[in-house]
Amino acid sequence: MATLLKVLRTTERVFLVTIFLMMVGLFTLGVVVREVAPQYSSDFSWIEEAVQTLNLFLVFCALGLALERKRHVGVTTFRDSMPLPVRRFVFGLIDISGVLFSIYTTRLGIEMVQFVFASGQRSPTLNIAMGWIYLAPTIGFVLLGLRYALSLFGVIDRFTPDTANTPTTSEKGAA
Amino acid sequence: MMLLAAIIAATVVIMALGFEMLLVLGIPTLAIKEVFYGRLPDVVFVQKLLGGINHSTLLAIPFFLFAAQLMASGQITRRLMGLVSAMLGHTRGGIGHTVIGGSMAFGSVSGSAPATVAALGGMVYPELRKSGYSEKFSLGLIVSSAETALLIPPSITFIVYGWMTGTSVAQLFAGGLAIGVVLALIFAALVMVHAARQNVTARPRVPWKQRLDALFAAGWALGMPVIILGGIYSGTFTPTEAAAVSVVYAIFVEGVVYRELGFRKLVDICEASAISTAVIFILLAFGGVLSFFVTLAHVPTAISSFLAAIDAGPILFLLILNVCFLIAGMFIDPNSALLILVPPLFPVATSLGIDPVHLGMIVTLNISLGMITPPFGLDLFVASSTLDKPVTKIIAGVWPFVAANLIALLIVTYIPQISLFIPNLLFR
Amino acid sequence: AEFVAKIGHLESAQQSRNIYLEKVAKLVNERTDGNVEFEIYPQGQLGNQRQMTEGTQLGVLEATVSPAAFLGGFNPAVSVLDIPYLMPQDFKQAQAIRDSAFGKELLASFSSKGVVAIGLWPNGFKQFTSNKPIEDWKEFAGQKFRVMDSNILIEQFKAMGASAIALPFGELYTSLQMGVVDGEENPLDTIERMKYYEVQKNLVVSDHGAMEDVILFNEAFWNSLPENYRKVIVDTFHEVIPDLVKDKADKVAAALEVVKQNGMNVRVATPEERKALREEVYPATKAAYIERAGDEGKKLIGLYEKAYADVVGN
Ligand code: NA
Ligand code: NA
Repeated sequence: MATLLKVLRTTERVFLVTIFLMMVGLFTLGVVVREVAPQYSSDFSWIEEAVQTLNLFLVFCALGLALERKRHVGVTTFRDSMPLPVRRFVFGLIDISGVLFSIYTTRLGIEMVQFVFASGQRSPTLNIAMGWIYLAPTIGFVLLGLRYALSLFGVIDRFTPDTANTPTTSEKGAA
Repeated sequence: MMLLAAIIAATVVIMALGFEMLLVLGIPTLAIKEVFYGRLPDVVFVQKLLGGINHSTLLAIPFFLFAAQLMASGQITRRLMGLVSAMLGHTRGGIGHTVIGGSMAFGSVSGSAPATVAALGGMVYPELRKSGYSEKFSLGLIVSSAETALLIPPSITFIVYGWMTGTSVAQLFAGGLAIGVVLALIFAALVMVHAARQNVTARPRVPWKQRLDALFAAGWALGMPVIILGGIYSGTFTPTEAAAVSVVYAIFVEGVVYRELGFRKLVDICEASAISTAVIFILLAFGGVLSFFVTLAHVPTAISSFLAAIDAGPILFLLILNVCFLIAGMFIDPNSALLILVPPLFPVATSLGIDPVHLGMIVTLNISLGMITPPFGLDLFVASSTLDKPVTKIIAGVWPFVAANLIALLIVTYIPQISLFIPNLLFR
Repeated sequence: AEFVAKIGHLESAQQSRNIYLEKVAKLVNERTDGNVEFEIYPQGQLGNQRQMTEGTQLGVLEATVSPAAFLGGFNPAVSVLDIPYLMPQDFKQAQAIRDSAFGKELLASFSSKGVVAIGLWPNGFKQFTSNKPIEDWKEFAGQKFRVMDSNILIEQFKAMGASAIALPFGELYTSLQMGVVDGEENPLDTIERMKYYEVQKNLVVSDHGAMEDVILFNEAFWNSLPENYRKVIVDTFHEVIPDLVKDKADKVAAALEVVKQNGMNVRVATPEERKALREEVYPATKAAYIERAGDEGKKLIGLYEKAYADVVGN
């Protein structure tokens, strides 16, 4: 289990970092071409659309890791003031809701992916099938639901606050 | 009506129980869909989820988040703040004013309040604390100053408003400059009051020799604003592209010049920025779904018929307008509020003789205020994510600024000359 | 009403498309004894055009009126309307082409996409503006023009020797102001509405790009309507076209005045220039179209060239 989880984390990490650096690289390339050789910039007009699509994958595919790293926002003051047994119950409630919500959204995502692939819709400049973009939320909610489930079964602990006071996120990232 | 009340009550309960905000927005929206719009295909939920974030104008946010974290964990931030503190550290409230000025400068290029919080927050927060500002006040100041990004041109909000109403974007930009300055001055007054009360320590004046050293030390770091501002104003790149270029520049300076950024660290920062991006965008995504149902519920039509029925004069009308935006700003993303509320309000406003540019200022000031008002204030969540502070703490710090903002709103609403002074000078 | 259709589109409430959609809604309601009701959602309230078209396929909304330029991803065949100077400038000639076998086949090409295209609505023509001189087509060489995401429009500028830069609509004003791009193409009322005259010096009234709207209905909704109601709807949309065109022309003329008064250097391209430009860009844009639309595209181009020859000559 621990090894599987480690492999998953590494995969997500590599995927997110690759996507993000590609987004930066592509936009910069677009600027450079326009400044250095504007006659070729027509050939790079797909960049805008590509970066936008990559961003969708970046957003959704980071949802699961964000949950595991306790990065999702919520208003927790009132809950944290409750006695421990009640709090445990609430934690369970949140995790179950998260699992169910993620499963439902994933199901809708799959439906949407199938529908859009079947309709044959293609993107304007990249000319790729638009069904791909709906794969982003579908994968994202699988990853998110998985984390809610792992938290529900106690495999990961996402409710105990971090003891070390580390404002710089880079240290967290190395965890 | 009963059902809607039940859904709203349930929303409040799960929010208080500390459910993640994405569930707080997502679960009730699903309920609204099932209860009131059962005939619509279920997949509309996923379609609008993507629709809420698939806009190219939002792309500046991930890049500025990334650049901000690169700078904050390396040398650029440290050296820039070293320079600021050498120059202004001896004045009372100097660092506080620097935060406001920095937000205006940065906001002038990014046009996005969340991107401004992301880019500046991590940089200035430690400096504020070191100078003796309270935690709450520091957080409130960072979040609120970023509002000027929407007011100081260029601003995406003005462009959208201009498109919707056919108002001159150039005149809106000119008016926004004055409003941005008004807001900044009010915040600056708050800083002075706080600095006096908290007895924020003014440090001893730094000798000029040391100031020059700080300036030279900040040389490469100063290249960042030069590249962003210079690149945009010379027409080399768009504000969104500038955000991407700033990442490349930050990697270059931290990695090649200062040699503090190894591959491993770059990967860590990149991943952390990706996570921050996700945390913010998922809320925008759910906001998109919610605002779709608000439109289908004919809320805009209800507002126009209400206004027609009460036959209000300009003063009452503007008050109602402000209340509508404030309520909308509490629950939905401000840009969606713009799309939903401007169409019913604009024709009424013009028929009452309210100048479209003036109305644009009022609306945009409302939108920017919506970014910092709980429970759904996008900038609150961005600050929470970049500074790693609980949202409740940020909300606690933001109240004096919300109050100051409401005063600014009243001034701008009832003294149209402030909004129209520069546009009249330049264009009319 | 028995049948309620949510109809979404992008233009603002005061623009021709919305005014005539409201008019059609009223007429259809009367003619079906109140049994068919159209709810019009202007200004992208229900999402951007891609989402609205997708939503029409899904049944999230019952209909949308979309510029053809936004539909290439759903139906590559429709991109034929992106080809510059495709439609004659004369209204009667253009309408004859819309009503020809070419127009019918074009509408039919949507049938495999889960939507029913019931008609084309003319919505004016695009013009060029730039901060650099555009007195002559040759002067386009080396200039940077903003284009929408469309391979055919990119080919159009390439054929003219200019660089095509894809930028989002929302960033266009600032990009023109800062000089990221030199120029752009849009209909005159958009140029006036977005106040591009504040950030652009020159305008050529070239009428080069026909702005055609496609009226799309969700297939399941359309099939649920009784035959006679369908006919009422199709006929009403068709019937208002002359008034729609006139309203649009008035708005364009007013916009041209505003643009001139604000100091833009305006020049109207001569018929010879238009003919020369059509001949210059037609082969490249046609090739780009066929490359993307395949056999269906070839067939449509064949029908188009025949209709054009019948209506205009040569
Ligand atoms: Na700005
Ligand atoms: Na708010």
